[in-house]
Amino acid sequence: MRTPGLSGAMLPAIRDSNTLHQALDLGYRQLLVERGSLLAMVGPLAGAARQGVAIFVNLDAVEGLAADSAALAFLATDLGFSGVLSVKPHLLRDASRFRLRTVQRIHALDSTGLETGLNSVGQPAPYAIAIAPAVAIPQVMPTIRESTNVPVWGTGFITTTDQAAAVLAAGADVVSSAELKLWREFRGARIGD
Amino acid sequence: MATRAMTPPARAQAVDRSVARLFEAFDRVPVAAVIRHAEDLPRALASQVPAIFFVRAPAFHLGPLVWAVQARGKMAFVHIDLIAGLGKDRAGVAFLAREIGVNGIITSHSALVAAARADRVIAVQRLLLYDDLGLHSAMTAVEHARPDIVEVQPAVIFPLVVDQIRARHPVPIIVGGFVTEPHQREAALERGARAVSTSTVSLWP
Repeated sequence: MRTPGLSGAMLPAIRDSNTLHQALDLGYRQLLVERGSLLAMVGPLAGAARQGVAIFVNLDAVEGLAADSAALAFLATDLGFSGVLSVKPHLLRDASRFRLRTVQRIHALDSTGLETGLNSVGQPAPYAIAIAPAVAIPQVMPTIRESTNVPVWGTGFITTTDQAAAVLAAGADVVSSAELKLWREFRGARIGD
Repeated sequence: MATRAMTPPARAQAVDRSVARLFEAFDRVPVAAVIRHAEDLPRALASQVPAIFFVRAPAFHLGPLVWAVQARGKMAFVHIDLIAGLGKDRAGVAFLAREIGVNGIITSHSALVAAARADRVIAVQRLLLYDDLGLHSAMTAVEHARPDIVEVQPAVIFPLVVDQIRARHPVPIIVGGFVTEPHQREAALERGARAVSTSTVSLWP
């Protein structure tokens, strides 16, 4: 893959052109398009990708894209994005054919659901798994590590410094948040710090 | 209750009575036992929990388990979204309610909440809160579906959302998801949960 991967521990979650520019102005070289219409900000996103910013898309939540091969081809070939997130293993399998990095989203709502989610992690292993809500990670990390060694991202409900720090301290490589304040605070945090 | 104005009187009375009975029991023992593995059922039956939640059980072998629960004076709830072999539709709900005779149905789907209400069993709607966007859409679903009880998951989210939920819709709340320590159970109850659901056997009184 020629597109860039992640190196920072904070992954800004953006939802429109404003938040996109705020993250870029802070010097971020990685973004998660978490929701909102991807098509409404496709120009600035493509521009950022051309300049080497790693862009990941949550396919389960963004608007304007179908969950199909044509959409994946658009993200990979036309836009040069780095990867996609989804709860759907078959969609991630398709995405890997387009040389997108794949991030398996797993809902950590209760033990039963977590187990089902971890069992859905397919082969080849994804680039990462994204646990939602991230605030559950300190509780569920031991269970995750019994099942897989792939990098763990935390997404969802992260609004305070303490929450983000606890997620990273529990062993997550990356934490995602939509809070500008946290983007400022964790700007220099590298993966594995 | 005003919120039940559209409900046929017979349904309202029968279900309101069993909801009231459940909450009287939860006031004494505020725990529901979640059965993830059949071998845990005897422990749950011998415990003081007033309600047992079946998740992931095979639908067509569920009858004897449910009847064993009810023979102990406990209420049996089935999480229809995860039950193997059963359609996630009105016919599936009707099977559980009429053929097996469950006391209540747990689901995250508004359409199944409506089906449970129509079939006169207690409707527990799960709020699956994996991000803050989910809260808004889940509450819209709850306002529309009007379940008897809402179950908030995971428990760690409950303190972050309880005020927003209460501001939107007055409904009894139980809390579940990764409740493995006594302090987690107590924290949820202190914030106003009527009960916690847990598969951790040591937390069943």
